[in-house]
Amino acid sequence: MLRAENLAVRRGPCTVLSGITLQLQPGQVLGVLGPNGAGKSTLLGALSGELEAAQGEVYLDQQRLAQWSGSERARRLAVLPQSSTLSFGFLVEEVVAMGRLPHASGAARDMEIIGQALAAADAAHLAGRSYLALSGGERQRVHLARVLAQLWPGVEGQTLLLDEPTSMLDPLHQHTTLQATRTFAEGGAAVMVILHDLNLAARYCDQLLLLDRGQACLLGSPAEVLQAGPLRDVFGLEVLIQQHPERGHPLVIAR
Amino acid sequence: MNLVVKPRPLLIALGVLLLCAFSLSLALGPVSLSLADTAKALLNLLGFPVAGAEQAQLIIEQIRMPRSLLGAAVGCVLALCGVAMQGLFRNPLADPGLVGVSSGAALGAAVAIVGGAMLGGIPAAISPYLLSVCAFAGGLLVTAMVYRLGRRDGVTHVGTMLLAGIALTALAGAAIGLFTYLADDATLRTLTFWNLGSLNGASYPRLWPLLVVTLGVGLWLPRRASALNALLLGESEARHLGIEVERVKRELVLCTALGVGAAVAAAGMIGFIGLVVPHLVRLLAGPDHRLLLPASALAGASLLLFADLLARLVLAPAELPIGIVTALIGAPFFLYLLLRGRA
Amino acid sequence: MGFMNIGIGGFVLSVAAGVMFWGIAQAEPLPQRWVSAGGSISEWVVELGGESKLVGVDTTSQHPAALRELPSIGYQRQLAAEGILALKPDLLLGSDEMGPPPVLAQLQAAGVDIERVSVSPQLPALQANLQRIGQLLGDTKGAQSVFDAYQQRLQRQQQWVSQAQAHEAAPTVLLLLGHSGGSPMAGGVDTSADWLIKQAGGINLASHQGYKALSSEALVGLDPQVIVIADRSLEGEQAKQALLKQNPGLAATRAARHGRLIGLDPTLLVGGLGPRLPDGLAALSAAFYPESQPLTADAKLTP
Repeated sequence: MLRAENLAVRRGPCTVLSGITLQLQPGQVLGVLGPNGAGKSTLLGALSGELEAAQGEVYLDQQRLAQWSGSERARRLAVLPQSSTLSFGFLVEEVVAMGRLPHASGAARDMEIIGQALAAADAAHLAGRSYLALSGGERQRVHLARVLAQLWPGVEGQTLLLDEPTSMLDPLHQHTTLQATRTFAEGGAAVMVILHDLNLAARYCDQLLLLDRGQACLLGSPAEVLQAGPLRDVFGLEVLIQQHPERGHPLVIAR
Repeated sequence: MNLVVKPRPLLIALGVLLLCAFSLSLALGPVSLSLADTAKALLNLLGFPVAGAEQAQLIIEQIRMPRSLLGAAVGCVLALCGVAMQGLFRNPLADPGLVGVSSGAALGAAVAIVGGAMLGGIPAAISPYLLSVCAFAGGLLVTAMVYRLGRRDGVTHVGTMLLAGIALTALAGAAIGLFTYLADDATLRTLTFWNLGSLNGASYPRLWPLLVVTLGVGLWLPRRASALNALLLGESEARHLGIEVERVKRELVLCTALGVGAAVAAAGMIGFIGLVVPHLVRLLAGPDHRLLLPASALAGASLLLFADLLARLVLAPAELPIGIVTALIGAPFFLYLLLRGRA
Repeated sequence: MGFMNIGIGGFVLSVAAGVMFWGIAQAEPLPQRWVSAGGSISEWVVELGGESKLVGVDTTSQHPAALRELPSIGYQRQLAAEGILALKPDLLLGSDEMGPPPVLAQLQAAGVDIERVSVSPQLPALQANLQRIGQLLGDTKGAQSVFDAYQQRLQRQQQWVSQAQAHEAAPTVLLLLGHSGGSPMAGGVDTSADWLIKQAGGINLASHQGYKALSSEALVGLDPQVIVIADRSLEGEQAKQALLKQNPGLAATRAARHGRLIGLDPTLLVGGLGPRLPDGLAALSAAFYPESQPLTADAKLTP
């Protein structure tokens, strides 16, 4: 379980993130929203230990993040970056297999997990192909399968951080990917996902965090966060909020 | 595009190739020995005394065997270091020279050759050792500087390291140029020949240090095969997969400095092996370092032995510097791979 | 008396031992298959009548032209053990520059005699070299007479120069070593170029160490009376034209204005005192002192 206390990050003289206190709940998906430059990726970097906190602490399972050894941490915390720069022709399943590096679960079990993770990311049909031959969206799903395999099957105490996992996906796969993430969270893992699409966030997240200029503006359920006032203040966007006719979650419509 | 061969058959085939290369390297040379004499000499070498082939025994034991071992070790370690550097820089076109080890070694050699000549000549008995030690030390020193320049706040920035490598290579080039300017004609030729590499004059005392380093690098790098795979995803991804990225980078640079430094110290500059062999093997074996490393080691050793066979047979009784042969084989082959890949 | 007896007895014994040793030394066969590394060394071997024994030479052995037909063992500092062994030589003759040392050790272990001779441009060194080569050829007398004749020619050269200097002032000279006229390097002090200029009676204007490229401006500033051109790829008139074309500044020097550009075979600059040296010196000095009657008939202002 990942917890941040009064977290602040500085880049040079600028404070790009401050006063973040938050706890990722097991079995829940936390969506992070905010305009460009609000500090979403910075938050993810600080929570994953990539960026040094100028103030505050990040705890993983009651222990400070920095105190975990590499592979111990990797078994509890997986991170999917916005884009990857892999430029070598690994096979798809080899890329996913890298998610099993921190584990010593044996080749047979690994193969099984790789297959399940690929299926979960709707990428099972890509097995056997060279990573370099895939489209951007296909690559994104392969990497999702990789981080899912890293925590598979996903139990309480584990955390998955996703930075815009749907940015390159077609509408169908935006939904299947986030549905897969939800399903994964139901096993007990805590998930944090950075999203730009407010309606996707409303539909698949249990909690939403609205960031504005490096500060937490609102933290709460989709119904609490997705309101015309805060969205106008943060995004500068005039919106109408309706209720989804079938599912009941808020629906954001630009005016 | 996918020429991927199954690991076990590939390793077996490459092993057989190396065995062939080594046998040919022992059996062929400017002096033609009969098969019977060669066999007798080999039996002698293996500890079964057989009389009647003293000349063959001398040639095989004292000339061809150390030379073949040297060639195999140099090819093996250059190819391994090429793999390590291409992994570290996440670029299939990276070359061990990028971290400055080659230019540093060349500078060390220039200091030894030209400096020695200017100080009135180094006694012939120690000059080859002095040259090797200076080349090795130069390679280590420049690599250490490149590594140091690439570090900030306890993190090694590979991009900065690359640029520092280019800058220090240029600086070393200037220093070598200065020594070239100061050198007389004969010294200049020695320097030029050194820069083209040669396995000529291999002897056991000069072979052991390289064999030890090759063995060390050859045993260590495969332990980091998975880490190298993860590094290809990106440094932060590798960290998230639990890899101690800083330590791995340090080890890769150290292995390369030691490996290439020792190879260059023993045989001069031999280009293209570190670049072409991993590239070629990747086409056959795919990018997985668990297979790429051992396969490249075998292929590098074989390729260098074949190149050396050409080097000593083509112009016999004179010899072609082996660097010319490796570049002559390597460069067109490399172009072929590039053009074929594009089509 | 007793003392004397013992003395005589000792004398007789030692004479006997000497004779025995002589016999053994004579019985040892002379090397029949020679490999020679070093331009002037190979030239001397041929000069002393040993051409038929040569089975291989290095790349610096270019004179006489017949040597180029022999198998080449490569550059003298980068000899290959097995390549040389393939020629089945009894003897490897070369200079101190021969190497690398591990290869020489391997050759020695394989039973090849290694003879090193000095290439310093000193007559005593040459005498020792010729004697050694003569011994190995089994003709020490012939070697001695060749040396005597050589020494005489050099002495006559000296005398000629001092006589010429009585009538004409010594010219200032630059020797430019180049390649098709490009980037010529002037031979400074401690070079064979400097030695040649002095022996031919000229004054070397270059005061630096070794061979260094001089800028056109520096060349004009030095304003030599004679320029000696040792071009590695062109000969004679072509070499002169190429040099003037690539270094237009040279046209302003006295040497160019008075047409005193002299070609020199660059191989005379390496390997110490070679057999062709006296001819080269005579030609040079004839060009340095045009008013004096040349020492040899063919020492005209050539090429």
